[in-house]
Amino acid sequence: MRGGKSARLVYPAAAAVLIFALAPFGWVLLSGFLPAVAILDQPPQWLRYGLIDDNFRYIFTGKVPQAYEVGGQLRKMISQEVRAVPRAAFNSAIIAFGVLLLNWLFGAPAAYAYARLRFPGKAATFYLITASRLIPAVALAVPYFLIVQQLGLLDNHLALILVHTVLTLPFSILILTLYFRTIPQEIEEAAQLDGAPRGTVLRRIVLPLALPSLVGTGLFAFMMSYSEFLFALLVTSSAHARTLPVTLASIVQNPDVTWSLLSAGTTLAILPALILVWPIWRYMVRGLVSGGVA
Amino acid sequence: MARALEVPAGRARIPARRPEISTAYLMIGGALLLVALFTVYPFGYALYASAHTISPILPKSFVGFTNYQLVVTSPYFGFSLLTTAKFALATVPVIVVLGVLVAVLLNRPFWGNSFVRVAILLPWTIPAAIGGVMWKGVFADSWGALNVVLFRLNVIEEYVRWLTEPPLAFTAVVIAQVWAQFPLAVVLLLAAMQAIPDELYEAAALDGASGLRQFAAITVPFLRPMLVIVALFEILLALTAFDLIFALTGGGPGTATTVLSYFIWGETFRMLSFGKGAALAVIIAALSIVLIVGLMRLMPKEALLGEEGS
Repeated sequence: MRGGKSARLVYPAAAAVLIFALAPFGWVLLSGFLPAVAILDQPPQWLRYGLIDDNFRYIFTGKVPQAYEVGGQLRKMISQEVRAVPRAAFNSAIIAFGVLLLNWLFGAPAAYAYARLRFPGKAATFYLITASRLIPAVALAVPYFLIVQQLGLLDNHLALILVHTVLTLPFSILILTLYFRTIPQEIEEAAQLDGAPRGTVLRRIVLPLALPSLVGTGLFAFMMSYSEFLFALLVTSSAHARTLPVTLASIVQNPDVTWSLLSAGTTLAILPALILVWPIWRYMVRGLVSGGVA
Repeated sequence: MARALEVPAGRARIPARRPEISTAYLMIGGALLLVALFTVYPFGYALYASAHTISPILPKSFVGFTNYQLVVTSPYFGFSLLTTAKFALATVPVIVVLGVLVAVLLNRPFWGNSFVRVAILLPWTIPAAIGGVMWKGVFADSWGALNVVLFRLNVIEEYVRWLTEPPLAFTAVVIAQVWAQFPLAVVLLLAAMQAIPDELYEAAALDGASGLRQFAAITVPFLRPMLVIVALFEILLALTAFDLIFALTGGGPGTATTVLSYFIWGETFRMLSFGKGAALAVIIAALSIVLIVGLMRLMPKEALLGEEGS
C-alpha cells in the first residue's frame, strides 16, 4: 500500500484534515487580537486595523479598549460578563484538579483490590461501578440537582468535584484494574518474600510501575471535568463557582459582547488544551495507538 | 470487562484470608459508596419523581403514568425525538467514515505524520461547549468567518444565513459535532489498524491484490469490532448531545436543533416541571439501554471479550 499514485494524495489529504481540525482555532486566535470594527465592518477588513491586545487587557484589567470609545454606536457593545473568564478558568482548574486527586485517591486502591485481591461481592460491585455510566447523564440531572441542593452545596466547588468524580471514577477504575493486572505479580511476591511489608511494596514497586497509567487516567479525569457542561450549568448559579464552558456558553448569547472580545476570552479558555495536548497524546493516546510501547 | 476480574491461576486455589477481605473492602469502599450514592439513589429518585407532580409552586402529588403520557403526547417530544434521530443518523456515519479515512492516512509513514496525529486531537481536547462557541464564530450570519471567506473567494453572492435557516442550522450543528468527535474515532481506529499483522498485507501483495482489495479483504474485517465500538459510542453521544448545541444554536432557530436532552433541560429547568423532566429522563435511559443491548448483539464476540494486546 505504499508509493505509487496514492502517495501524491497524502499531503493534500493531510492538509485538508489539518485545515478542518484547526481552522476554527486559527480564527479564534486571530480575532482575539482584532478590534471589533475589523470584524463588524461591511465588508469586514480583518487586518486593516492591525493587531491589538486591548481585548485581553480589558479582560484582565477592565480597561475599555480604545476602539470602543471611538464610535458612539459601538461604545455600548461591551459587557462586564467577559471579565468573568479568568475567575471561571480558576474555578475550572480547581475543580478539575480536585477531580483528578479524588480519582487517584478512590480509584487506584479500588482498582488494585479488583486486580489483586479476592473477596465476596467482587464481581457484583465491579459491574455496579462500571455499568453506572451506562445511564445517560441527562437522566440523572434532576436528582443530582436535588441531592446537591439538599447537601447545601449549590454554587460550591465541592459539589462539582463530587459529581465529576462520580462521572469519571468508573473509567479510571476500569482502566487501572486492567493495567494493574498487566504488572507481573511475581515482582510483588518476590519483594514480600524478601520481607518488605505490603505498604512498602505498594509504594516502592507497584506505584512506580503503574505511574504512566495513573498519569493517563488522571489526565482523562481532568479533561472530562474541565469539559463537563450539563451538571456545571445546573449546580452553579453565580460567577463564584461557574466553570469555563458554562461561562463562555453564556457570554456567546450576550449580544453586548463582540466576537473579538469573546475570542480573547475563548483563547484564554483553550490555552490549557493547547498546552496539554502533547501530554494527552503521550500518556493517554500514544500507548493505545502504538500498542503499549512507550 | 470480565477479564479484568480473573484472578491469576495458581493464586485462585488459596482461599481468601480474612484480613485480605477487610483490606479489599477498605480499598473499594470509598469508590463504591460514592458511585452508589450518586447512581442508585438518583435513578431511584428519577423513577419516583416521574410518577409525581413535583414543582416548586405546586404541592407534590402522585399521578401514576400521567407524566409519561403528557410527555409522549406532547408534539415537542415528537419533534425532538425526530431531530435527535436525524442528528444521530447524520453525524455517526460521517464520523465513522471520516475516522476510517484519516486513520488510513495516518497509518502510512510520511513526513509530519506525528504532528498531524497530535494536532487533530485538539478539537477533541477542548470542552464541547467551547467548540460550539468557536463554530459560532465560523457560522455567524453577518460576521462569521465562513461567509467572509466564501464572499471574498466569490463563491457566494451574498451572505448565507447559516444559523437562522433551519436546515442550514442543523447542518452547522452536524459539522461541529463531526469536528468535535472525529479525532477520537481516528485514534481508536488507528489503534485497531496497527494491531493488524503486516504479514497479511505482504502476503496479499504477493498474490497481486490491489490496495483497495487489501483494504476490503484485510483491513475492514479486522476493524469491524472497533467500528462497532466507535459507532456505538458515537450514537450514545449523539443521543445525549447538549453542550455543543447549547452554545452554537441554543436549540434554534425554532426547534430545528432541539434534541432530546435539550428538550429535557427546557422542560425541567425552564418550565420547572421536575416530574415531566424525570419521566423524559427515564424514557431516554430506557431508549439508550435498548439501543446499547441491541447493538451489543450485533458486535462480534471477540470485541466484547477483548483481544488482550499487551
